Amino acid sequence: MNRMWDFTFSARMDVPLQSLIYGPTANSWLRMHELSVAQSITDFALSETQKQNARRVTEISVDVGELMQVDTKVLLDALNMLMSGTKLKGCKVRVRVAAASFSCRRCLSSWGMAEAKSQLGAVPEDLLVKEPDSDELPLHFLPYLYPAFIHCPRCGSSDIAVTEGEDVQIRKMVLE
Amino acid sequence: MKEVRVNRFPFQTLEARKRVGGFRKIILVGSGKGGVGKSFVACAIALLLSEKGYRTGILDIDIHGASVPNYLEVKPPLRSTKNGLAPKVTNGLKVMSVALLAGDNPVPMRGSEKQDLITQFLALTDWGRLDYLIVDLPPSTGDELFSALDLFAGKSSLVLVTTPSRNAIGVVSRLRRLAETEGVPVEGIVLNMAYAQVGKRNRTFPFGRIDGRVLERALDSKMIAEIPLEPKVNQGGLRAVLKGRNATSAAFRSLLERLTVTERTTG
Repeated sequence: MNRMWDFTFSARMDVPLQSLIYGPTANSWLRMHELSVAQSITDFALSETQKQNARRVTEISVDVGELMQVDTKVLLDALNMLMSGTKLKGCKVRVRVAAASFSCRRCLSSWGMAEAKSQLGAVPEDLLVKEPDSDELPLHFLPYLYPAFIHCPRCGSSDIAVTEGEDVQIRKMVLE
Repeated sequence: MKEVRVNRFPFQTLEARKRVGGFRKIILVGSGKGGVGKSFVACAIALLLSEKGYRTGILDIDIHGASVPNYLEVKPPLRSTKNGLAPKVTNGLKVMSVALLAGDNPVPMRGSEKQDLITQFLALTDWGRLDYLIVDLPPSTGDELFSALDLFAGKSSLVLVTTPSRNAIGVVSRLRRLAETEGVPVEGIVLNMAYAQVGKRNRTFPFGRIDGRVLERALDSKMIAEIPLEPKVNQGGLRAVLKGRNATSAAFRSLLERLTVTERTTG
């Protein structure tokens, strides 16, 4: 199931985002990865605006893969900061958390993040990445590292694939 | 009003290219063959460049057999900064390897996922500005190699590592041909495990013996170093060997002179 939030910088909404996060969380600017994701989205959107010779952007729709464990509130705050003073100011940002889905190449079973979570809980302390006020799973930074930590919950094989919800994607931009 | 559908938002690739913009020179260390000492050579070059005062980083993209952290004696955990993941730093050398995030867990991956992982890895590492990035390539001429050639296009050169074994040279020649077709300049050949010193005067050749000119003809490149087998690497570590007065240290220091000659001539 995918969950979606609309966010307009000029009329900010409060949303219950904590339910999204399954790892240690920190609602602060100190979550550095969200800032770099926001920077990339902003850079790409600005270059696309220029390419299309547009006056401004009214809407951007972004999919954030559940596997990345991005704190959506922090991401939106970061986008707000980075877009202000640019042609993106005031645009409506829609963020959808795309549910992660895995499949096993050996027994062909499939499963979601809820089952993967129990395995991620076993990641050793020393492999957690130290952020200024929290510890993060390596997958927060490198989602494609998932085969190191997630196995098929049915047959135990490591020969698995993530079929959805592993990356950040801009789906749509509306330009004027 | 115009609606733009974005087929693919190359988030990680854009970030990775920005990082590459901060590197002056990238040296890929590869052979196509496993067990010839690529990581050993890559780490030694990186350590000596750093020792000479060059801002240097080493990126280990051997996803399935990462060994750079062992040679350089760095361990997890990593920490993050406002610019990404902070590499481990040892004697001024910045070190990044999959093993610093995956530990001893195997990383069973296929095809394009490996390319995505390497791109993510480069994109997320806060290298800052570097004079040199040394890249430890994995064996084979597969996905990881093409990721590196693509990401570092135009800025990289290749150091070929081989042993005197005919099998090794045969495999390395495939990488040499690939470098040719992909337009990657070759710095030269490092003949690793060239000999073992026995006492002060005698040498033995446990992996066979090859004439330098024959090797150069076979790989169509200049031989730039001949590195002896050094058992002390396994006892006291690479760093201690490089600091000592021995043939291995001397050979690597001479290699460094050849690799950095452009820096001095261009000032």
